[in-house]
Amino acid sequence: MALNAAEYRVYEVFVQRDASQFHVNVGSLRAVNSEMALQMARETFFRREEPCEVWVVPQDCIVASPRDSAYLPVHTMDKQYRLPAGYDNAPRWKRFKAKAMTIEEVAEEMATHKQGGA
Amino acid sequence: MDEAQKTAEFMARIENGEKIEANDWMPEEYRNLLIKQIHMHGVSEIMGAYPEKEWVPKAPSIRRKLALNAKVQDEIGHGQMLLRLAEDLSRPYGRGREALMEDLLNGHVKFHNVFHMPAPTWADAGVIGFLVDGGAIITQAALLESSYAPYARMLKRIVAEESFHMQYGESVVLALAEGTTRQREMLQGAIDRWWEPMMFFFGPRQMGQSAEKMMHYRIRTKTNEELRQKFINRYVPRLQALGMRVPDPLVKKDPVTGEWGYTEPDWVRDTEMVRNNSGPQSQARLHLRRQAHSEQRWVREAVMHATALATV
Amino acid sequence: MESQDVPHWIALLQPIADDEWIIAHRGSEWLGLAPDLEEDLAFSSINQDKMGHAQYYYALLEELGEKTPEDMVYGRSKEQWRHAVVLETAHGDWARLVALRYFYEVFDALRLERLSTASWQPLQDGVRKIRREEAYHLQHFTTWFEMLATGTEESRHRLREAIADLWPLLGGLFLWGPSEHFLTAIGLDSLRGSELQRSWETHVAEKMRSMDLPWPGALSSPVLDGRLGEHSPDMHDLLQVMTEVRRSEPAAHW
Repeated sequence: MALNAAEYRVYEVFVQRDASQFHVNVGSLRAVNSEMALQMARETFFRREEPCEVWVVPQDCIVASPRDSAYLPVHTMDKQYRLPAGYDNAPRWKRFKAKAMTIEEVAEEMATHKQGGA
Repeated sequence: MDEAQKTAEFMARIENGEKIEANDWMPEEYRNLLIKQIHMHGVSEIMGAYPEKEWVPKAPSIRRKLALNAKVQDEIGHGQMLLRLAEDLSRPYGRGREALMEDLLNGHVKFHNVFHMPAPTWADAGVIGFLVDGGAIITQAALLESSYAPYARMLKRIVAEESFHMQYGESVVLALAEGTTRQREMLQGAIDRWWEPMMFFFGPRQMGQSAEKMMHYRIRTKTNEELRQKFINRYVPRLQALGMRVPDPLVKKDPVTGEWGYTEPDWVRDTEMVRNNSGPQSQARLHLRRQAHSEQRWVREAVMHATALATV
Repeated sequence: MESQDVPHWIALLQPIADDEWIIAHRGSEWLGLAPDLEEDLAFSSINQDKMGHAQYYYALLEELGEKTPEDMVYGRSKEQWRHAVVLETAHGDWARLVALRYFYEVFDALRLERLSTASWQPLQDGVRKIRREEAYHLQHFTTWFEMLATGTEESRHRLREAIADLWPLLGGLFLWGPSEHFLTAIGLDSLRGSELQRSWETHVAEKMRSMDLPWPGALSSPVLDGRLGEHSPDMHDLLQVMTEVRRSEPAAHW
């Protein structure tokens, strides 16, 4: 028995919780068309929150990667050179009597500046 | 790779604590156990809506009415989310929502014993929130470690919503316990009705074959008896604190082992009831589901033919 | 607010509050019975929204010296309710529900639009919030109405039957009780029944024409005018059910 036409379509639901975040999948639902899928998504998944934006995507439009190293990166070899942790600048700055910087610090300063300024 | 090798690799992943996703290869047996478990869980959520639904129009205050509406809605919502998982797992068998719902109406999938029972007073509606949801939270929290990741993820969401149900149920029960003599009697009556079904709810000490297999595949990780003990241990002191009687003289904690005693529910009678849908309210509640599903097939057919807003 | 205006605001708000409460109460009877699970969730939220709206209006009425919201809901006899009779009728099939909700949502949207200019600030603030939720209600039932109207032979037939069944009762929505003079006194002439009805008919007629549904003719005055406290036996049954638990121990806290 094939999945017959007597079923609503399955839509995967993605939510963006606020503008600083990406859309994430929260589940799926059945709906007769995309308009209803959007209306249904609202009460199926967001009865207790106020999302920024919702996407509904027909499930059969999603192409998932096989769980296979041909598709999913596996970092078995040394890739430290591309990671912040791969660098030992802090003790070296110390020898120059200066403090190492971190990106978080810079970001924080910018945020504070934004708040304090303007 | 042949089947045996694949299965061995699969089991190695499970034993390694890895999680399985919907599109991963899985042994037929694992798939079927998952479908059985999640399907039953899903339809039980849906059938669990009906005993409380009866009380929505009668809820005795505006706040109670809103909260009970929201709670029953959540139960249906949990049923929806769980059925979606069971539907995805059933895709290789060509079975979707319609087929899984038909299984319920035809008696091919069972729902929890507690939802076959009557809820004759407002206190029953409260005690369902208190004891039945309390029991369900224990079994669901024990499934959060499930090897099937989509189930574990969904349960996380469900358990979060159940915490509102727990607060709601406790609030109703507390109001009755603080109330008039009649309200307290009403509460005791409901506790008397729901205690034994709750002992049955967790299943027999000696678990059946499929429950054992679910442990093997780490679909579930705790035994029936462990869960029942946790339930008794949580709820007996609370009932006693409210001055309510636990309607079972054998409920006592063994000072040496710390194990709670209890009277065995009538396993044969209740198992028959669940298998045959022959409980006091089984047919009436199935009738409501039939009314929603079968008798409104015309609606679903109509919208699938609707030219307005047809999906391109 | 001038004290002589208090009865006017009460005359305005009580029918609106009662409409919202009664339609939501009837709607909540559909819990677990919608044609699919997802719709069950959507529809239940709409009913909860409406109960919340009623609760808001009842709270305003309490400020104006009426009973508490709880007593308004649980402590009134049939004759003291002011909603339109069509809203209290026992439910039929999904087509009737869709037709009723679509007709009501159009009406309510028009009513709220005019209400949003009310000079009483607390009401204006509430209406602004309420309209945000009602926009979804209207959209949802417009979608359903269109889908049933363009679905199968059966759904079209059922929808036409439902419209025929509801039509003689719909006129009751546009009434305001013994007199509409209070609307003038509080500067809300735009809410006059004839005004509302004209806008409603324009909107609904256009929709029905585009769905190829025949226009059943002008709305008539209903046999029972709920705005005057006249109600059907269905309202008696509704009240019996709604107050059953509360009556069993009236002084108790639940």
